[in-house]
Amino acid sequence: MNKKLVNRVFWVLMLGGILLCVVIFSLAVGPAGIPVKKIIPILLEGKGTVEYNILFDIRLPRIILGFAIGGGLSLAGIILQGMFRNPLVEPYTLGISGGAALGVSLNIIFGLYKIGVLTLPFFGFLGAAAVIMLVYFLNMRKGVVKLQGLLLNGVMISFISSSLIMLIMSLSRSEDLHGIVFWIMGSLEEPDWAIIKITVFVTLTLLVVSYLFCLDLNAFSLGEEEALHLGVPIERTKRLLFIIASLLTGFSVSVAGMIGFVGLVVPHFVRMFVGSDHRISLIAAFLAGGAFLIFCDTLARTIIAPLELPVGVITGILGGSLFVYALTKREVK
Amino acid sequence: MRLRLQAIMFFAVLLLQGSVLAKEDYPQRIISLGPAITEELYLLGAGDRLVGCTVYCQRPDEAKKKEKIGTVMEVNLEKIVALRPDVVLMTPLTNSRAKEKLKNLGIKVIEFPAAKDFSGICSSFLELGRILGKEKEAGEIVKIAGNKVDSLTLKLRGLSKPRVFIQVGAKPLVTVTEDSFANDFIEFSGGVNIAKGIRYARYSREKVLEANPEVILIVTMGINGEKEKEVWQSYKALKAARDNRIYILDSYRLCSPTPVSFIETLETIAGLLHPQNEPRSSELRPPPPTRCKALHRVGGGGNFEIPYNKLKKEDGV
Repeated sequence: MNKKLVNRVFWVLMLGGILLCVVIFSLAVGPAGIPVKKIIPILLEGKGTVEYNILFDIRLPRIILGFAIGGGLSLAGIILQGMFRNPLVEPYTLGISGGAALGVSLNIIFGLYKIGVLTLPFFGFLGAAAVIMLVYFLNMRKGVVKLQGLLLNGVMISFISSSLIMLIMSLSRSEDLHGIVFWIMGSLEEPDWAIIKITVFVTLTLLVVSYLFCLDLNAFSLGEEEALHLGVPIERTKRLLFIIASLLTGFSVSVAGMIGFVGLVVPHFVRMFVGSDHRISLIAAFLAGGAFLIFCDTLARTIIAPLELPVGVITGILGGSLFVYALTKREVK
Repeated sequence: MRLRLQAIMFFAVLLLQGSVLAKEDYPQRIISLGPAITEELYLLGAGDRLVGCTVYCQRPDEAKKKEKIGTVMEVNLEKIVALRPDVVLMTPLTNSRAKEKLKNLGIKVIEFPAAKDFSGICSSFLELGRILGKEKEAGEIVKIAGNKVDSLTLKLRGLSKPRVFIQVGAKPLVTVTEDSFANDFIEFSGGVNIAKGIRYARYSREKVLEANPEVILIVTMGINGEKEKEVWQSYKALKAARDNRIYILDSYRLCSPTPVSFIETLETIAGLLHPQNEPRSSELRPPPPTRCKALHRVGGGGNFEIPYNKLKKEDGV
């Protein structure tokens, strides 16, 4: 028993340490070329200088947002994979990202974002919420939550949203078109500190809330009937877990656009190293996801500076290849 | 009476102060987020004030050596902040979140609306001149451009107007609507845009064949111009194909217009549309200053009227 506890604490600390290193790396690296040794003095004394401005107002918000969104998406991923017992499930499978993208496209094409940039994530969240409610009500009939139906409906709604978005893109003017495409590609650039704070608050709260279900998720991994026999109130649990995962995804996509693969790849990695015990894997996924996204974002904004790659490109390539490599290595063993 | 006089004096002093302040406040470190803006800065003689521009700012040659801060749509905020600009000039194509972020960081941002027609290009140019404190130079360039347009229109008056189809995209087929300045290229050079009056810029090949234009202009904006030309040539019933009047234009010159590059492209297109009457504006007398649309349409400030007035006096009207 003690050994297990030590193991868990070790992993959490290790991931926390990795996160810290990645944060420092990300703060230090960038096209403006600030040497590492100067960072601490700048942060402490250099208020008002251009370098301080760059560190605090440009890099730090991205790092914080990367932590919240990477963590949130990974957490949603691991919850959904535990609930559905399907390794291919990820936060975007449920169609929520499609709904958010549709909401944002409608906003852009009607020019509503000119009223205020805050309307973009708001509309994104409206779209996400609409899909969440649709999927929920389509599948929660007679008190029974059909997981299969949930997945299928989600995928179908995803396709319908993509088609609608393509319709909107084909009829839009070129400026709007660029706006929509770049939003969909995903970016951690967010001008409003309030939104960043809200996102961090919501994702951390939902992390804590999800811990109420960690044991239930463990039971779920045996199968629904077995979980029921173990005393887990499965219908209620499924509903609540679905809502938690959807809220995490909805917030992430509304604020940062579609950053793919984080919710799919990180949970797999975490399970590979830490095991399937959700008591530890939930927080491990959060920390690992945050570190991963911050790292990918740092690469995205420095590889071909001053041009910036969309962060989804890096998460896809890096995450996907690392995963394939790790999988093949494991099989050989 | 006395009160009114005092009020007038008060406002006069206020205005005077305003203009005196403005004189010393012209931006010295400028970042441009659009190739047209970069070119216009050099036209106005303010190229030395440019400290950063996009990777697409290729003209004039000096602009290639300036610091690059990203593309027109996605910009690197760190680079921009590190360059300490007095003002950042952008187009509507730039990411709105980046614009918000720059404003939050306390950097002055000025957005130029997309030019819908030639007068739009001119009024943006005059506005840029005003911002830089180069109203005189801007006014002169706009005046010359307006003159050239007028003389060209005069020269082409009475000639038959060929029906033109201008293609700016291949998959899907995209043309220009009345909303775009490219429409003015066709109208000013004495042609008729067959796609006039449509709402969305997407067009169908069938409609082009139905309209049977005499000239087709292909603007190579990331599409293979030669390939498209072959496709059009393969339609034997098409007048433009039979007369071999399908031309490929370089999009780089065409798509980021300044008053000067607009005129150059316009003269090229006019030459293509009316090959037997090659217009050369240097041969022509300056026309009576009546219909210079650019200056007429320029919006309501006192400054903008000056070039037009100068025009009137010099032509002895």
